[in-house]
This record gives sequence, structure tokens and C-alpha cells, in this order.
Amino acid sequence: MIVVNCPNCGPRNSSDLRPCGELTPRPDPSTASLSEWRTYLYLRENPAGWVTETWYCRNGCRRYFTIQRNTATNEIRDSEAP
Amino acid sequence: MPDFKSPIAHGPVSAPDGVVRVEDETATAKIVVRAGSDSSAAADLSVPFGQSRLRADGTLVCGTRPDEWTLFAAVDRAAEVAASVDTEGFVSVVDITHGRAMMRVSGPKATAVLAKVCNIDLADDMTPDGAVFSGSVANVTCDLLRSDRAGDPSYLISCERSFGNYLFAALVDASTEFGAGLPAGLSIH
Amino acid sequence: MTGNRLPERPGEVIDRGTSLAFTWNGQGYTGYQGDTIASALAASGVEVFARSMKYKRRRGIMTADHWDPNLFVQVGDEPNVRAGSRCLVAGMEVSAQNVWPSLKFDVGAVNQMVGRFLTSGFYYKTFMRPKWFWHNVYQKVLRKFAPGGRIFWESSTHGAYDKRYAHPDVLVAGGGPAGMGAAIAAAEAGASVMLVEHEPELGGHLRWGDAADLAALAELTSAVEAHPGIEVVIDSTVTGRYDHNWMAVVQRSHEIAPERLIKARAASLVVAPGLIERPYVFAGNDTPGVMLSGAVRRLINLWAVKPGTRAVVLSANPEGDAAIADLEAAGVEIVAALDARAGEDIVEVEGRGRVDKVVLGDGRTVSADLVVIGIGWTAPTSLLNMAGDRPVYDPSAARYFPNQLPDGVLATGGITGNGTTDELVAHGRATGSLAASRALRSRHDRRVLAARARNPEGPKPEFLQDTRTPLARVPHPECYRSSTHGMVDLSEDVSSKDLVQASKEGFDSIELMKRYTTVTMGPSQGKLETVNASAVLAEARNMDMVDIGTTVWRPPYAPISLGALAGRIFEPIRRSALQDWHEAHGASPLLAGQWVRPDHYGDPVGEARNVRQNVGIIDVTPLGKLDLRGPDVTKLLELVYVNKWQKLDIGRVRYGTMVAEDGVVSDDGVTGRLGENHYLMTTTSSGAGAVWEMLEDYLQTYRPEWDVHVTAVTGGLTSINVAGPKCRELLLRLVEGVDLSPEAFPYFHVRRGSVAGVADCIIWRIGFTGELSYELHVPSGHALHVWESLLANGEDLGVRPFGVESQRILRLEKGHYIVGQDTDGLTKAPSAGLGGLVKLDKPDTLGLPELKAAYARTDLPMLVAIQPDDPQVVPMEAAQIVDGDSNRILGRITSSRMSPTLGRSVCLGQVDPSLAAAGTKVTILLIDGRRVTGTVQEHHAHVDPEGVRQNA
Repeated sequence: MIVVNCPNCGPRNSSDLRPCGELTPRPDPSTASLSEWRTYLYLRENPAGWVTETWYCRNGCRRYFTIQRNTATNEIRDSEAP
Repeated sequence: MPDFKSPIAHGPVSAPDGVVRVEDETATAKIVVRAGSDSSAAADLSVPFGQSRLRADGTLVCGTRPDEWTLFAAVDRAAEVAASVDTEGFVSVVDITHGRAMMRVSGPKATAVLAKVCNIDLADDMTPDGAVFSGSVANVTCDLLRSDRAGDPSYLISCERSFGNYLFAALVDASTEFGAGLPAGLSIH
Repeated sequence: MTGNRLPERPGEVIDRGTSLAFTWNGQGYTGYQGDTIASALAASGVEVFARSMKYKRRRGIMTADHWDPNLFVQVGDEPNVRAGSRCLVAGMEVSAQNVWPSLKFDVGAVNQMVGRFLTSGFYYKTFMRPKWFWHNVYQKVLRKFAPGGRIFWESSTHGAYDKRYAHPDVLVAGGGPAGMGAAIAAAEAGASVMLVEHEPELGGHLRWGDAADLAALAELTSAVEAHPGIEVVIDSTVTGRYDHNWMAVVQRSHEIAPERLIKARAASLVVAPGLIERPYVFAGNDTPGVMLSGAVRRLINLWAVKPGTRAVVLSANPEGDAAIADLEAAGVEIVAALDARAGEDIVEVEGRGRVDKVVLGDGRTVSADLVVIGIGWTAPTSLLNMAGDRPVYDPSAARYFPNQLPDGVLATGGITGNGTTDELVAHGRATGSLAASRALRSRHDRRVLAARARNPEGPKPEFLQDTRTPLARVPHPECYRSSTHGMVDLSEDVSSKDLVQASKEGFDSIELMKRYTTVTMGPSQGKLETVNASAVLAEARNMDMVDIGTTVWRPPYAPISLGALAGRIFEPIRRSALQDWHEAHGASPLLAGQWVRPDHYGDPVGEARNVRQNVGIIDVTPLGKLDLRGPDVTKLLELVYVNKWQKLDIGRVRYGTMVAEDGVVSDDGVTGRLGENHYLMTTTSSGAGAVWEMLEDYLQTYRPEWDVHVTAVTGGLTSINVAGPKCRELLLRLVEGVDLSPEAFPYFHVRRGSVAGVADCIIWRIGFTGELSYELHVPSGHALHVWESLLANGEDLGVRPFGVESQRILRLEKGHYIVGQDTDGLTKAPSAGLGGLVKLDKPDTLGLPELKAAYARTDLPMLVAIQPDDPQVVPMEAAQIVDGDSNRILGRITSSRMSPTLGRSVCLGQVDPSLAAAGTKVTILLIDGRRVTGTVQEHHAHVDPEGVRQNA
């Protein structure tokens, strides 16, 4: 059970949050081609290393926020970090 | 208007030596205020997220979430408390008195009881008297306030009303380690 | 019965004033308070405790502690109790397990004679053919021989298990001298400490040591006890270390539960488990009477039990030498004291049920009943491995040492090196200080980050580098196997010969060998056998130990009972304000998600009929309800629903369907406009939480500039649907402040008023049942009064409550689909028959590109109403629709019921588009294999497709 630093609540068990996956901007649905849209829906980088993720603080402040997580080590840092 | 009915059908449950007590406090007016941090409502309430204060009129103001406050008062004061909020700008005031069950766990062993069902660090410096926080209590998402009584730790716990009976049972169940008895008809299963 | 109890020993832990009676295989025995089950039995002369797993060999005490592979017993209805560490309790009914029919005579012992057929991988080789033999013979016979105790899962009396959380700054795993030193120093530095000790008392090896050890122990114990910052958790094991120092601690024999799982989040973990003594591989090394040096020292010094009368001792270290002194003090004759450092050795032990003769390395054969082995140590680095470390073998010290650890994990004590008690304590103290300084930095951060916490006083403590002086690595000979072969894994009955054979067969990496032979996979979890297995493999392959490696140590450190993992079961149950009433009035409970609801009150068909004929009331509180406020609510509704919301006047209600970004139907419900900037949205019961989170997601991350506040009010408003032709008449008697006439309050409108004297009720006209109906949303604290008033005031109208089952019948008659029942995870909007509801000309709505693509397709299945041609046949839900006599699937029945209104069966189903036209005949494959025909209907509604009833 990893600890995720919620920017509002502070460090929390990940069970208090819902992971929403890699940050993926939503294309403009009125102009996006179907293939662009499906890239948004299904395709992720999934690197072994640092990734920017969205989490939802389900049991806490109910805010969505982004952090960076190293998928190889579960190290976590601010989304603004380099 | 008929009487206000709580979802919890049990009176207070205590350990014989008083080290822990679980009691229903659902019959409390609960007003949730949503307002931007730059609003005059926020300035009036003047409590940051995570903290609380007792207003001169007896209303307990809790900084429940960022840009969100919950006001607790006597159950018959709901309308009055709701009306007291400055609604200048984009401000919502919702009476959730009927929507939340509320209970108190208090006594010297209250922290130990809560630690059986809640993963939050309840140490005095991490969760001091007056601290407002949210978390999972026996698998129910709850809003909590530490409000000590007579030097002993005490926690006000509120949850979605429909979970009230279950949560009360779960807290009493957790208290059995310290001598509280499970009243007939109350079970977590 | 032989009395093996010695006169009083200085460090003994037994209370000779308190005798405890218990039984062993039905016979009466006594022990003392402080005894383990094994020590009490050994004191009474018991030598054989169990039969081994595969060969059913007689087994006695080997390590006399938690790891002893031979001391698994049944205690009452509790199986697999470790007699080496479980404290004796008066009245225990202890019996040998793993024996059939009895400990003395075990049929399986014949396996010893056929041992050559039971070698490596025999499970994979033996019970394969013929196939039918597995089910009929092998399985039944093997069951008799299966190891382990008996489970009494219906009559278990050992109570509920327990769980709690802990947040120590420093968690110290191991309460020996180094661990106690670490705990004291960490606490002195201001850290909160949890000190976890495997044994029932603190002290580690000091407990069975000499006078100086006992004095040091007393001093350390009083220092630990004196410090309020240390929580001591004894008879407990840190079974796992997970990311970010999330630790599982299993606390045994707690007063309120047989086992308790402590989930601890520690800023620093100090790993101080000491060393585990390693058995030696030689012929007959599992004969009762072959014990490790630690076992005899524990028996003599802790429980004052004389372990034998004539002993051969093989020692390679000071602890082995100390055993000789202890044995002599206990009056045991030393037949031979062999020094492994000088090359002396044991070759073979003979004896059935007890050591009888010992063949020594010099060829002599001596007579003895006890063989004491002190040839080396295994470093139980498991918790370090779980923190990512890969310990490295040091041949000069004949054991593994920690390599690289993260900042939050520190090791001390025997796993890091050797030292005198003072040196171990000093290293522990230095480790504790370091652990505390790092933990307090973390605590400082947490207090800054957590909104609820008190701000830290003073600056963040500096990060201290590790400047500890390492403990020395004292040279130790590498003693793993004698010139003969013997048992490597006593739990699993795997011999060194088996390992050599496995290596020859090609299973010659340690991980493959483990899985092929099951070595290290038993209850000892490698603590005793892993290194010997590596050594045997190294020898077989003529390689260095360093290059062989070990198997990966994963959680758990020690086996955990499933009860402890389950802990308390927290399964929240949601109840409406009316559920007590329902239960008091005969409602059959239905668990729907977390909600318990009235399925029916005994007569679902009658209840449904009454709604069509008179008036019924149903508790629909679980409907998700979200209060939406703000000037931009309309924009939000446009985004999340497939239909249009711009022109919803105050006082109107509209039905909407939601799809996810992939175009799949995700939820539906109605939303009413209560005021200029105030709406009430309803969702499905099961989708309530997900819809709320979804709305917050788009509001927070996609359109943060929109002003909308969402408040969940599901339980706050008790929802009562009043349905049936007489419902208006009933409500006229109770509603105040609302004109209920059809002209003033038409279908799909909402009003606010008081009901039965309860103010602030929301009333809207909708029609899930297809009848004239009003849905009341009542403040829950007053809901029971409203419900009872409806029943009391409508007796003459025939008012009756109805349950979920009746509602399902009624909605199916009306052809309303249920998201998740009539749709599934692949149902795109056009398949649900939404037709013109979906507006593709909106600039932005969830899943818009997918909706456009879906509407361009002609191959998507369609939801249609179907009536079986035989009106008495009700196909089971999920019955397949097939192509004639073939098994080609063309759809399925999604809902089916007997309609009381029509007197015939009615269905909804998803079908291939080629079958979707009204009048098409379909073939339905029933569960009993019969095929029946049905006809696709023109409308989803079987009853009142024109909507005359609901619009009345």
C-alpha cells in the first residue's frame, strides 16, 4: 500500500484514493478524429519510470490532482517536479 | 412537524469503567457551505481546511474540505444557521441535517477504538484537538472532527445517513475490546 | 512417563507453582505456566511429536521454537499450532496431526520403503495417468495422507480475528539486544516506537544465555519498559514489508482474538531478527533426538527440561560450545564433543523413534540418545529482501549479509555481523538513533503537509548520514552437508539426494529447483533450509555459493492464518429510513449493492397487480440523488447527458441517459429544475457514486471555470414512489401547497410542498411503473411519518406497499430498460433504443465521436421487446437467442417475467439487427435445451405503449 501525497489532505494511504491513470488530455470532441479519440481512450505510454498520474481523493477532500510516480520504484513527487 | 428520527436506534454504549463511550448525535443541524476562498462567506467563517472553531453563537464551524465548510448546531437551528451565511457571490448553502448520521466516540480509549477501524494517524500532533479530516471508518467514508471532552479524546464522526446504523455497530464492535457490550440486535454482519 | 524436568535454572521462565493440566492424544499430562506445548511434553518424556509429510517418518524436537518443522499439532479445533512457540494453557486438548491412523502406527510409513518412487517432482510424475484414476483413487487416498490438521469450519470456537492500524515513527522488528537497543535509542530521540518480538518475551538469545546475558537482559528490559514511547508487541511477527514501509504485524494470542493483524505504517523500519540456527545435512538428521544447539539450550535454560542422557555434540561456533556447558550442567553425559572447526564430523545417525547410534567422521560408532548440532547460522534477511535488498553471501563468515537498503530501512544485530552483547546493543542504539532522526524528518514533513496536523515547532531535522561502525564478521567454517545425504527440508521431506537429482534433471537454478522439489515451500518458509539447499546445489554443480544465489524471500516472513488476514469483516450495509418498517412488515430482504431493500412483502404479483388497479407505495431511496447548484448546471447537464438540457424550465423534469467517453451507456435517470440555479439529479442506485465522481472529475479537471456545486443527498431524501390509478386521490388527502390536478401538475413536472405535515418535500411526476405516479422526496428524519401516513390515509383506496420485485415486473411490462441489466459493458447508445434522444449536433458531450461512429453503424445489436409465442414460457434471463436449430448466437434475453397484467410472459432482449424489426420470429434456447420461438414487438412497452395511464 503506497502513500500518496494529496496536495490538500497530506500523505494518505492509496486505498483512500482512486488512481485514474496517466494524465491524458481530452481532445476537442467536435474536431477529434475517431482515431485521435481512441488514442485518448485507450493508449497510454506506460513507461518504466516517471509518469504523471491523476488521482482522486475519494475518502478525503474529493479533489482530483496530479502527481508524478515512478512506476519502477513507487517513488512519488509533485507534478511540478522536473 | 413530526419528530426528527435518527437512523441509529440505540442509546449510548459505554464500557463499564467509562474508558470509551459511543453515542448517537445525528440530531444535530448540519449545514454545508461551498464558497470560494476569496468570498466574503469564507472570510466570515474564517476557518481553514482541516481546522474548526466554536462560534460565539454556539455553532461549530469545520473546514471540511478546501472551499467547503460544515456548520453544526442544535437541530432546531438549521434554518437560522443556514440563513446566517453570507451568500454574496457563488456560494451554496445546503442543509444536510437529514443526509448525515453522526456519532461520537469519546473517552481515554477513544483513539485506540478508532485506530481499529480507521487508517488515519491519530497521534496528538498529527490529529490535534479541533482537527477536521475525512477518511474511511470501517469502510465507510466519513467526516471526522476531534473535539476533546474533559481532557479525554473525543471524535465526532459523520457519514451518509444510510450507513449510520452499520457505522454505529462497527464502532461499538471496535469498543468491545475495551469492555463495551454489543447491545442486542446490533451487529456488523 | 519419564520425568525430564531439571532442578530450578537461573533464567527459567516456568512458574513451578502453577501446574497446567492438558491432554496429548487423549492422555492426561501436566506442565507449568510458562511452558510451551513442546516443552511441557518434552518434560514429560514425549519424544515423537509428529510424522513427516511425505515419508511419515517419526519426528521430534529440532529447534524448539516457532520455526520447528516437526512440532505442528492440533489444539482443539485449531489446526497447525506450533507447539514450539505456543504457550501452554490449562485444558488444552493437543493431538498429533498428519498421522493416520495414529502417531505410533502410521500406514504411510510404508512410503519410507518406497521412497525411491517419491523423489523429486513425484507429484508431477506419479499421479498423472490414467486420467480417471486421479478423481476416483489418487485424490481420495492422497487426502488421507495430506499433511496439516483438521479444520472445523462449522463449529470453530476460537473466535473472531482482529485488526488495527498503527503509525509508529520507528518499527523495530526483533526484540533481542540490538533491537531493544534500537528501540530505546529511538524513543530517547523522541520517536514513537513499536518493538515487535517473535517470542513471548523480549531478549532474543540472552534469554537462554549465561548469568551475564541474563543481567544484560534485565537491564535492557527495564529500560524498554520504563520508556512510554515504546509499544512492545510480543509473541508477534512482522510478516511483511511493503512499499513505503507498510508493515503487516501478526499478533498472536491476543486476549480478545486468536490473532490480530496490525497494519503499521512506519517512517523507519529497523530490522533486527537475529540469526536462525541452521540444521546440518547427514544421514538420519531428522531422527528424533537430533536437535540444534539453540534447542537444547532453550530446553535446559528456559524450561528446565533435560533433552537427553548421552549426547554427541558437533560444534562450529561459541554457541555450540556453550551448549556443551549447558548440557553438562543439566547432567547430560557428553559422549563426544566434535569440533567442526577442526574437521571433526558426524556421518550418520541410526535409530527408530530416537537416536540410538551415531557414526562419527573418524569412523567410530558411539551410542547416544541425543545429537546436538551447532554448525552455523542463517541470516533471515526476508524483510530486507522485501525492501528491495539482495543480500550477498560471504564465504568467510558462511552466511549472507545485507547489501543496499533504502533510507527508511536499517538493519542491526546478528544479520549485520557478530559482537558481544555490549557491541550488539551499541550497534542497535546507533541504528535506533539514525532511524529516529530519519523518521522525525518524515514526521516534520507530514505535519507540514497534512491540513489537520499541528504545524511543527522548529526547523526540519538534518539528514544524518550513516556513520555507524559496522559489527565485525567473525570467520565461520562453511558446514552444510556431511559426506552422507540427509533431509534438507524437514517440512516438505526433501532430501539432498532429491536436490542433486533435480539438478541432474535440469532443474539446476535455485528458483526452478524450489518449484520442482518444493524445497523451502513448507511452513518453515526457507528459514531452516534455504541456505542448505543452495549449498547442495552449489556442490552438485561445482559452483560457488555466491553464484548460486537464494530464492527470493517474499511475504509472509512466517505463515499467517487466513483468519488474521480477513480480520474483522467490514461490509457496510446501507438502510433507508424505512427499512426497519419494511422488516417489521414481512419484507423479504434484497441485498442490492450495499443497500438492503424490500424485495417483496410476500406476494410480488399481488403487489404489482394492486399498483395497476389501486395504488402502491415503494421505497426507492437508493436512487442516487445529487443536488446541483450554480449558474453553469445546464452546461454540465449538456456535457454528461446524451440529450439536450438548455430549455428545461423551472418546475420541469426530464429523463436523460449518460454514456461514457467510449459511447457505452453508463447510467440514466431524471433531473428536475427546482429553481433558477438549482437542480436535483437522480441516478441509478448502483451508479450513484460513480456519477458523482464523474461530475466532479469534469468540473474539476475539464471545466474548472464552470460554477457548479454538487452535493450528494441520496440518504437525506427518502424517496417514495406512489403509483397507481388512485394515487392522486391518496395524495390529495396529504399534500399541502401543491395543486395536484393534471392541468396544473402534468407528467414530467416537479413541485415542492408539504406531505403529511412534513415541509420541504420534493414531488415529481414520473413513471417507471407506467402508472400515474408521483415520486416524493422527503427529508429522511421525517420519512417514516410520511410512509405511515400514506398507508393510514389510503386504506379505502387499497393502498399497499410494493417491493423491488413488483417494480421489476411493472417496469418490464412498460418496457423500461435497466442500465446494467438490459445493457452491458458493450452497449452503445443506439443499441439501447435511445433513437432520437441522442443529440449528435451538440458541440461537446461525453463520448461524442463514439456516438457519431456508433450511429453510422448498422451492425450493432438492438434492444427489443420480445414475447414468447407460448405465453406460459418465461425464458430465463440470459437465455440465448440462436439462429434456428444451430448454435449460432444472435442475442440474449436480458429481462423476463410473467406479466400479471397481460397474463403472459414478457421479455426484453438484445438481438442482432437482422432480428430487430417488429414481427420477427426469434428462437430462444432455454436452459433445459428446448428451443422456443418468440416474436419481436413493435414497442418496448408491452403494456400501454401510448402512455395513457402515466399521463392521466
